[in-house]
Amino acid sequence: MSISTPGGENRPGLVKVGGKPAAGAKPGTKTTTGGTGGKTPPKSGGPRKPITPIKVNQGRNWGPIAMFVAVGVIAVGIIGWGAWAAFKPGGAGYDWETRAGGISGINHVTTELKSNHTYNPEKYEQSPPVGGTHSYVWQQCMGNVYDAPIPNEHAVHSLEHGAVWITYRSDLPADQVAALAAKVEGKEMMLMSPVVNLDKPISLQAWSYQLKVDNASDSRIDDFIGALRVNATQEPGAVCSGGNTATGDKPLTEEQVAALQQQQQG
Amino acid sequence: MTDVGNSPRFSTRGLALSVALALLVGLAIGFGVSRLAAPSTPADDSAAAGFARDMSTHHAQAVAMGMIAAKKGLAPEVRTLGEDIALTQQGQIGIMSQWLRDWSLNLNSSAKPMAWMPDGDKSALNGNLMPGMATPQEMTALENASGKTVDTLFLEMMIKHHLGGVHMVDAVLTATDDPDVLWLAKGMKTRQTLEISEMQKLQTTLAKR
Repeated sequence: MSISTPGGENRPGLVKVGGKPAAGAKPGTKTTTGGTGGKTPPKSGGPRKPITPIKVNQGRNWGPIAMFVAVGVIAVGIIGWGAWAAFKPGGAGYDWETRAGGISGINHVTTELKSNHTYNPEKYEQSPPVGGTHSYVWQQCMGNVYDAPIPNEHAVHSLEHGAVWITYRSDLPADQVAALAAKVEGKEMMLMSPVVNLDKPISLQAWSYQLKVDNASDSRIDDFIGALRVNATQEPGAVCSGGNTATGDKPLTEEQVAALQQQQQG
Repeated sequence: MTDVGNSPRFSTRGLALSVALALLVGLAIGFGVSRLAAPSTPADDSAAAGFARDMSTHHAQAVAMGMIAAKKGLAPEVRTLGEDIALTQQGQIGIMSQWLRDWSLNLNSSAKPMAWMPDGDKSALNGNLMPGMATPQEMTALENASGKTVDTLFLEMMIKHHLGGVHMVDAVLTATDDPDVLWLAKGMKTRQTLEISEMQKLQTTLAKR
């Protein structure tokens, strides 16, 4: 590639080849100076055809190369910056919803789940429930392992706070109950209780999510806890301490809650 | 120079372009490197992330204890201390949770509690319970206590809890250089060390009351 300007004989970068005689030297005429004309005169007579100058690149044309390289560097820089902005860690948080959605067999309830408070017993769409109107008081979910059924109305309040509630059918073998309890004990935002007429041996609940499995060794249990514990909260920053620790099948009445609070006040 | 034609114009224009190009490349590299290096955040298996998760669990139990003491401690000092500890540590849980969000890490991990600790002090683990943490039975006893027993149990349990907490703080102080983590961890250590001696004095005072 070459960008040339008309420059005639003096144009730098061009060299003429072909032994043009020095100005004034007539071809075919012997000169005494022994100059460019040489000692061998051309055989043909008459005026010689002018020889077209041949361009020879002396080095490269740096201008255009530099321009293209610069444009390339800028383009790469822009692409790099964009890629970094798109993939940089930080600020976006952990994508727990995608992780939860990828668990085989998980049920995500996308219809509206109410968060109202009540003292009344509630009927729930799902069994065990994964959300909806619930008791004023949450069930304590500081890694509590309850050995008897707990009222749904309290457990749903725990789900709202971000807890994962492990339930199991009352006939689940003791070793499997122990394996589940090991995932719960000492871990806040976890609670566990038996459910009498559960349709599957084990059912896991988080707010708006449910997974039913047959065995405590199912690896999806850890996947469910990992994706949803705390992350599924409807009240970021909420706690699991305090609350109700009693088991039973009916939620605490207004009077019972008052009595519980009296006891908690000492 | 044999190359007559290449002399004056190349050196001016070519030099200018070379310099500009060098600057651009330099800028691009510098820019890229600084962007890549500056916001590097703790990894999922780092001590900082492990600390944020485990200390949140550890703190959650202190909040539970503190709330019990705040509600039904007999001595006013115990009530005040319980309230102070509960609110402070709940706030610190919020700070640590936000770190994990900022680092795009999950609050949950399949790693065992204290797996991040460099000294490998796993012997202090009791199930999922980290150093100083009360058992469910101890927590139930505190919940069901009344009167002076609340003060006694709370002070015993919280001194032990703080000692375990400071032990974990010491571990992260040697294992991370994240400025936010260092800041909060140092704050925890200073405060909890102070509270330990305060509670020990309070035990003596209350024994005579």
